[in-house]
Amino acid sequence: MSTKIQRLAEIDRIIHEPARLMIVALLASVEEADFQYLRQTAGLTQGNLSTHLSKLNEAGYVAIEKTFRGKYPLTMCRLTEHGKKVLDSYRTIIKGAL
Amino acid sequence: MSDSSYLHTSETPDAIAKRLMQKAHNRDGLPEIALGVLFLFFAGLEGLQVVFLPGSPAYRASSWGLMLLCLTQPLALPWTITQVRRRFLIDKVGYVALKPVNRKLSATIIGLAFVIGAAAAFAVSRGIEISSPSGWILATTGIFGGAIAAFGGRSPRFAIGGVSMAAAGILLAFSGVSLNMGLTILFGFTGLLSFVSGSIVFLILLRQPTATGEIG
Repeated sequence: MSTKIQRLAEIDRIIHEPARLMIVALLASVEEADFQYLRQTAGLTQGNLSTHLSKLNEAGYVAIEKTFRGKYPLTMCRLTEHGKKVLDSYRTIIKGAL
Repeated sequence: MSDSSYLHTSETPDAIAKRLMQKAHNRDGLPEIALGVLFLFFAGLEGLQVVFLPGSPAYRASSWGLMLLCLTQPLALPWTITQVRRRFLIDKVGYVALKPVNRKLSATIIGLAFVIGAAAAFAVSRGIEISSPSGWILATTGIFGGAIAAFGGRSPRFAIGGVSMAAAGILLAFSGVSLNMGLTILFGFTGLLSFVSGSIVFLILLRQPTATGEIG
């Protein structure tokens, strides 16, 4: 039991932040989503979401691609394989500690 | 809006995502509009069975229509909502590609829909009337339909719709109307309520300013 709680020290700090956890959890539930969908669904401001996505992108957890659907510009976000592994590990540690 | 206001410490990341996605799914009112239209179609077809005699061409056509509705709607409704969002509402609600649907689950839904639809169409086209337990059927249809709407929708709008459907089912059960007439009223009332509430939400969404979806 104590070992499981001690594992909390190994928790990924980038994902553990509430807004980023929400973004990563949302992206884990879908194939991919655009900036607008994430903003609306998570209820974050444009600047806030932009900052968090940049951090997740820098860490290699989220892949960001700018594209078009018809004439509408889309900023598509997708959880990378590395991001999925980090989220799985986060789940395991949290469940173990709880 | 505060980001952390959505997070409860007792929730897993998956539960948070599921809750937020459900909220996003109901935000534009399209699921209610689609359900309302479906229920109104269902009520219309049931209404034909009240007006026309069993065995008549119109009666048989309505039976086949009901079967087709039961068969196609479990998959057609979500597909239509997705297409409408992607084509007309992408600037309002954004773009999302959901994970592929579980094939086993899809096959089970299609199979169940086929069995229920075929059995209902067969019974109705042969003029089989379930007279005595019609009150129970109306009450349970209202209560189960209402419960599914209230718990599945996870929003006050769906809860109000669900309670209204359950109340209508119970009232109709005690009113002594025939099964077909009862189902016509039940689905007509619930469909209209759902359509109107979804339309109001949809119009409010359309009036909201469009935000640009760009990342810095």
